[in-house]
Amino acid sequence: MIEAKALTKRYGVHLALDGVTFNAAPGEILGLLGPNGAGKTTTMRILTGYMPPSSGTATVAGFDVLDDSMEVRRRVGYMPERVPIYPDMTVQGYVMFWARLRGVRKAKARVDEVLERVRLTERRNSLLRNLSKGLVQRLGLAQALVHEPDVVILDEPTIGIDPQQVIEVREYVRQLGRDHTVLFSTHILSEAEQVCDRVVIINKGRLMAEGKPEALRRQLDPGDHIYVMVRGEVKRVRGVLEKIAGVERVETNGPGFSVRAKKGTDVRARIAEGVAAANLPLIEMRPVAMTLEDIFLDIVGREG
Amino acid sequence: MSVSGIWIIFRREISQYFASPVAYLIAFAFFLVTGLIYNNDITVSLTVKPTDPAAVPIFLSFGVIFFAPLLTMRLLAEEQRERTMELLLTAPVRDGDIVLGKFLSAWFYYSLLLGVTFVVYQGILIGLDTYTPDIGHALAAYIGIWLYGGAALGVGLMFSATTENQIVAAFLSMSTLLLLWLGDLAGQIVASVELAEFIRKLTLQGHFSTSFASGLFRAEDAVFFAGIMAVTLFVTIRIVESRRWR
Repeated sequence: MIEAKALTKRYGVHLALDGVTFNAAPGEILGLLGPNGAGKTTTMRILTGYMPPSSGTATVAGFDVLDDSMEVRRRVGYMPERVPIYPDMTVQGYVMFWARLRGVRKAKARVDEVLERVRLTERRNSLLRNLSKGLVQRLGLAQALVHEPDVVILDEPTIGIDPQQVIEVREYVRQLGRDHTVLFSTHILSEAEQVCDRVVIINKGRLMAEGKPEALRRQLDPGDHIYVMVRGEVKRVRGVLEKIAGVERVETNGPGFSVRAKKGTDVRARIAEGVAAANLPLIEMRPVAMTLEDIFLDIVGREG
Repeated sequence: MSVSGIWIIFRREISQYFASPVAYLIAFAFFLVTGLIYNNDITVSLTVKPTDPAAVPIFLSFGVIFFAPLLTMRLLAEEQRERTMELLLTAPVRDGDIVLGKFLSAWFYYSLLLGVTFVVYQGILIGLDTYTPDIGHALAAYIGIWLYGGAALGVGLMFSATTENQIVAAFLSMSTLLLLWLGDLAGQIVASVELAEFIRKLTLQGHFSTSFASGLFRAEDAVFFAGIMAVTLFVTIRIVESRRWR
């Protein structure tokens, strides 16, 4: 549904995107992950037909973003990071305007439907200047969905709204995946893990990793990670832990220690024995699942 | 170019005009000032000279310098500032449709104000038995100032595209229009008659004060104003397009 090949975008001398290639299948929720300034918005703007790439190609629903820009725009619903509004319009007027502009037939019925879906029906006659940020976010979704696009592109839809609304928006996005292809950008990694079928990680305009969140975690996991808490003098405990066979690295972590073991070796039994042999009381020991966050820091960190 | 795209943009802008207090204030000022000019013209005609059918258009040939930028300053600057431009540029409409829709809405609003003054002021003259209004003369002057206004709105829209600050847009267009208006006075500072005449031909007044204002409809003047509109709209579309490259 979305195919990006070697997308490159330059702003003057600044290289915002450097040969990014990825694709998204129909009905897939693809997460676009990266720190601020990684090139997420630039990627999305190219896919929406807002700006052309400096080189490389992108197709949406089989249409090239450069050659068939109008066809692409008809098939894409876009919600920018800050939902732009006309403060003097009403909720209904605003959604109606975008519906008409995008050539929706039976616009009235469709607007009613989409307002119902984002639960704004009761506020249909409110002026946009009076809406709270969370409601504006829902309005942004409404305008992006009103023309029933094949592809929905959401640029950081959960930024700056309260936790309850964040959960709501994530729920919407998950539902969208049923009948749309969704490209969803975020810099919150747990969010991508919860919402997306697959993620693409970009940093400084380059693609760093791509895959299912679990697969990425498996693939990039540098080894087993165990949290150990032992009562005793930090230096001594650390010395004991470091000497255990299979342990690669020991770092203090809060009141305890993070122990990294060689990939595929279970060192838990040896840690228990080693600590007991040194006559130190073992308080807690548990495996730590690596989050996307760790993976991400790892990748971005490696790049410097 | 798609008519439906232009029409949808046009409709939104028109409803925006009627929903905003600024547009009503502009209309109020417009009617107040033209009303005073008209009233003065009638008063003077009691003793000094007959009424001038072009009194209001002649005033507007100066007044439009200030009215037109007020009508256009918001049109593109606000889209830029509120970032709605980003959504507009990802909607399946051509950049030209957006610009044209906005221009036509401003010109329509201006035509409406102009139309009201024409109907009311000429109507009063017809109603008063003591006058025999020269409708032909008035009509030519109004057509002239209508085209003149269109050109001024084109200039205003162009500057609205260059900035996201409405005040800056209004200031730049007023300055430009004032220069185009002042050019009429070239004869007072330029020694060469040919050069002064040439400069005058480039000004707004040069195509109004000696033709339309005297009830004369000349094709070359109409073409001049249409040309200004075409050029400013073309440049505006290019400026909007350039947003995509930045």
